[in-house]
Amino acid sequence: MHHRSIPDRILEGFNMLALLLIGFVMIFPFLYIFTVSFSSLSDFLNNDFLLWPKQWVTDAYEYILSSQNFLRSLGVTVFITIAGTIVNLFFTATMAYALARPIAGQRFFILFVLFTILFSAGMIPTYLVVKATGLLNSIWSLIIPVAISPFYLIVMRQFFLNIPEELHDAALIDGANEGQVFWKIVLPLSKPALAAFGLFYAVMHWNNYFTGILYLNDPSLWPIQVVLRQIVVINEPNSALGSTAAMLESPPPPETIQMAAILLATLPILLVYPFLQKHFAKGVMLGSVKG
Amino acid sequence: MKRAKGLSLILAGIFLAGGCTSNDTASKPAENEKDPNKKYTVTAIDFRFGDPPPKDGAGLKMINEKFNVDYQVQFVPQADYQEKLSAVVASGDVPDMVGFEAVDTRFAKWAGQGAFLPLDEYIGKYETLKNVPDHIWQSMKVNGKIYGIPTYYPEADLTPIIRKDWLDKLGLKMPKNYEELKAVALAFTKNDPDGNGKNDTYGFAMGEKINPDFDMGAYWNAESWLHKDKDGKYIPGMISDARKEMIQFFADLYKEKAITQDYAVLTWPDTNKEFFSGKAGIFVGAPRGMSEPYYAGLLELQPNAEFAPLYPFADPDGNTGYTATSGYGGITAISADLAKDPGKIKKILEMMEFGRTFYPREQRTPENKEFDWWWGNEGKGYTMQDGTAVLDPNFATEGKTPSTYYVDNAMWPPNEDVNEFYKDYKNEKVSKLAKELEEMHKSTKHYMNPVNGLVSETAQQKKEEFDQFLFDEQAKMIAGQRPVSEWDKMVEEFLNMGGQKMIEEYNSQIKGGEHWK
Repeated sequence: MHHRSIPDRILEGFNMLALLLIGFVMIFPFLYIFTVSFSSLSDFLNNDFLLWPKQWVTDAYEYILSSQNFLRSLGVTVFITIAGTIVNLFFTATMAYALARPIAGQRFFILFVLFTILFSAGMIPTYLVVKATGLLNSIWSLIIPVAISPFYLIVMRQFFLNIPEELHDAALIDGANEGQVFWKIVLPLSKPALAAFGLFYAVMHWNNYFTGILYLNDPSLWPIQVVLRQIVVINEPNSALGSTAAMLESPPPPETIQMAAILLATLPILLVYPFLQKHFAKGVMLGSVKG
Repeated sequence: MKRAKGLSLILAGIFLAGGCTSNDTASKPAENEKDPNKKYTVTAIDFRFGDPPPKDGAGLKMINEKFNVDYQVQFVPQADYQEKLSAVVASGDVPDMVGFEAVDTRFAKWAGQGAFLPLDEYIGKYETLKNVPDHIWQSMKVNGKIYGIPTYYPEADLTPIIRKDWLDKLGLKMPKNYEELKAVALAFTKNDPDGNGKNDTYGFAMGEKINPDFDMGAYWNAESWLHKDKDGKYIPGMISDARKEMIQFFADLYKEKAITQDYAVLTWPDTNKEFFSGKAGIFVGAPRGMSEPYYAGLLELQPNAEFAPLYPFADPDGNTGYTATSGYGGITAISADLAKDPGKIKKILEMMEFGRTFYPREQRTPENKEFDWWWGNEGKGYTMQDGTAVLDPNFATEGKTPSTYYVDNAMWPPNEDVNEFYKDYKNEKVSKLAKELEEMHKSTKHYMNPVNGLVSETAQQKKEEFDQFLFDEQAKMIAGQRPVSEWDKMVEEFLNMGGQKMIEEYNSQIKGGEHWK
């Protein structure tokens, strides 16, 4: 790392600058949201642009946290995210592993899975299935129908196929059965894949909005995104029906409250990223098989 | 093979077991229809703009006790209501009461297919139903029968308001025509009406979709069908010659910076901000539903701000008046399944009647037992402040009042003049503005849009596409990117997109008669 040539250093400098710039572009909207959420409404209205609160005001947060709805929905979403992700990973991993082993009918099942990627049933048929299975108005309606993402399943199967067969054989010789091979050898080696797909699944559950409204009749079960939308997105005037009712009936809440709501609803899922970072590290498999 | 069979049996068992938990809403034929103490289960689905009430609020219990029913209502956020309703109806469970936003394709289609109960025979039997003007009942008809009960909504639409203090400071009079209005907007832009020595003010606060459209009467309104083409057919205001004048008017002002310069990308809240931060001097207001926090913010910045409504201008036809709203804010339809249970129909209409009853302001007190119940009892659902009943701030989110559980919870006044909405505002200046707006609406005529309540298949499918196209082209003209002289070409394009078809469809249904009221 020492004695680098001048061009190398220039290149590195450029890289640094470019990355800093990109990082700033990513962080900036959050900074703005953060700033507005801690500003007073009059400060916000008076200034075209705020980069840092002129005076720290926590009214917006007090308003949001005083409402039962927001915290309850946050709780619901946390539950759906945790329980849903566990269900997702369990079913995706087991099925992917089974399809990665040489079993009878493997081809048929893989085609079966691929078929669901290409053709989806649509909203109403899915609703009918959820209704017929008695999941309507139950929190599990947001978890069970989306237990396996066919695309992630295919990718995960590919990952399992890349685990050397010799490991499997070695484990069997040591007296493990198939189940133990999966639990004790394959899964621990697959942490990067599990972390990656776990994150995708978790974000999917966290952002769930529409099916929450579709399948749940009880407002106390609605996920946080629904509540957030009620606070942030106002109903557009000039709808196809030309009704001004939307404009008059629900004037938008002040921006400061909107921004505070966005921050509170986004922060928890953002905090998951750093903890999963370490699992993305490569090289877990290095040296497991001596060639 | 054998194992697979067993598995499929287990699966089938799970499916069947699950089926039992779904609500069984089929109404069993009543053993004794004359039994007044029969407890009915009444189901309902409706949309909400704000937060829906909880499943177990005090208000719901009060409804169940008072009417001896088991009332099960679900509210869906307005933005997703149509999709959810489609799914619910497709699954074969039409709730007893179904809310609609307006006469749309779904309402017309389902009513036409016999999903709802014709209500004509009940209209004469209930006081509040008699209060509904005939032209609104006309809107509720599908194939000649009434299928919905309208929810009250004021006829006063959002109309232009102006900063009176700016007018006074610059020594200008209230504008009486577009020429004077233009002069005022230019003066607001150039003559420093707020007297802060900075060039930071302008005339019209405008946002995307050329909204508000600052029509000074139905003649210039984009949504009104008032003008006719050469064949004598009604055409939408969007393509009328009056609209062309408006676009020219805006284009001239835009050049002079008298209109929000980045209006084409401003959302509605941002448009509000232009006015409520004291930059723009002309905006819109209505007697009901203005946002007091916004006004309070502006008055904090500019304590001397005064507001006044702009009266409509006389149009070339000799009429003076704004377009009225459709006059209803929603529709309640009743499931056709109830036809075999007259007792239940009676019960539902009785419940609805209670919620639609109008009380003059002096009767909205705890002494009025009906009103006291409707607003969830004094001290729980509302409190009296200076002789006025004020709802608890969380009455809806915590379900404290029976009113918030109703599909149709707006009182239907005997006429438009008894509302006194201005008394709802605590802020003196906002209240004064609302009062003046009400007076203006009382003293001017209104245009009843002839397409209200009519269903055009083309409009349902393509109206948004049409609007997008017309707004885009007109925005280009305002910004000077396309000459206004190409107006006719734009209209031609619109007609060929399907606009002509929409015009035909509406005109085949528009009834004659006087639309000014």
